[in-house]
Amino acid sequence: MTAMPISVITGFLGSGKTTLLSRLLRDPALARTAVIVNELGEVGLDHLLVEASDEEIVLLEGGCLCCKVRGDLVRTAAELLARRARGEAEFDRIVVETTGLADPAPILQALMTDREIADALRLESVIATVDCAAGSATLDAHPESVKQVALADRIVLTKTDLADPSALAERLRRLNPAAPQLTALHGAVDPSLLFGGSGYDRPLPDHRPHSESGTSSFCLRRSEPLHAVTLSLFLQLLAEHCGAKLLRLKGLIDVVESPGRPAVIHGVQHVFHPPAFLDAWPDDDRSTRIVVIAQGIEAGWLQDLLEILDDEVQACSIS
Amino acid sequence: MSSHRTARVARVLSGALRLWEVSASVEHDSEGGFLIDAPSGTTLRIVPGWLVFRDGQLLASHAGLPGLLRTLRQELAPEAPRGRLIIGSR
Repeated sequence: MTAMPISVITGFLGSGKTTLLSRLLRDPALARTAVIVNELGEVGLDHLLVEASDEEIVLLEGGCLCCKVRGDLVRTAAELLARRARGEAEFDRIVVETTGLADPAPILQALMTDREIADALRLESVIATVDCAAGSATLDAHPESVKQVALADRIVLTKTDLADPSALAERLRRLNPAAPQLTALHGAVDPSLLFGGSGYDRPLPDHRPHSESGTSSFCLRRSEPLHAVTLSLFLQLLAEHCGAKLLRLKGLIDVVESPGRPAVIHGVQHVFHPPAFLDAWPDDDRSTRIVVIAQGIEAGWLQDLLEILDDEVQACSIS
Repeated sequence: MSSHRTARVARVLSGALRLWEVSASVEHDSEGGFLIDAPSGTTLRIVPGWLVFRDGQLLASHAGLPGLLRTLRQELAPEAPRGRLIIGSR
């Protein structure tokens, strides 16, 4: 069974999620899209603002996806898939629009792990909209918005006609160096830049450590290949000791047991996708690169941890 | 254990204490191990081979760093949040 791609559009209140979604759905490339809209208010409106033609649009209201109605999301996605299987709905992709206050982490974790839907869905893209006019102040005042940016695969800068985006773009790059940034004026953006591909087969940027709004991003590097067991132990240690402090981790790993075929790892807090192995390296750089976005975790600590673990595994392999 | 590796292990132990928000120091002892003075007054001694002693009594022995860190957290920061690795579907 081919897994259905599912994407999440997040972003703070008023940052342009609904405008973006509405514009995207007018593109023929996204004609066969089912949409799940989550709203916080007593009476949902956003789903009425999403101009759609053939799409399936389901409204989840009365609570936020990341807390009150996460189960509803799972049930709704499962029902959509069941209707499609019965021939009652036709779509090739699901897009979830979160509330502006949602923490995307539990939503992504539900999509990745829930028994009812996880095997049938493939997390395709996490898109965060950031308003150029108010984005900087929002990042200062609302930790949720920092987390939305930190967890994104793609960042869409909106309202670029109202303010110069350059300073905000640099700030966002410090927060999440691995996410490409796109601009959307009145929601207009090329869908092929937001959807399609795993999002994890791009070269990962090398960059200096940055700290921004209590969130730091850094890249661990290693020129020697890692043993697969080291990778497993490393991820277990991160999950066990770092917990919610680890916001996002993406890595391209040179694995001893898989020469020439790097492993792609991708995790949100303590939940990880199974490692996927690429057919070849995506660029000339053959070193292991792990981009980490975290709160209160030191880059040097993780680098030392990785080196010690591989030393121990190496020692066991020899003996 | 080489001095390079000893220094690296010490940094990992110190970093773990900061991560768990435990105000304790890690010091080298004369036998190539480490001493950790816990805020409670308890002293943990780690000797090469990952044996952990609490106030002179053997507390645990581990094959590697993961078990050692688990024991240290249980002893020094039992309230620190603990996670569990979950591998989802692709």
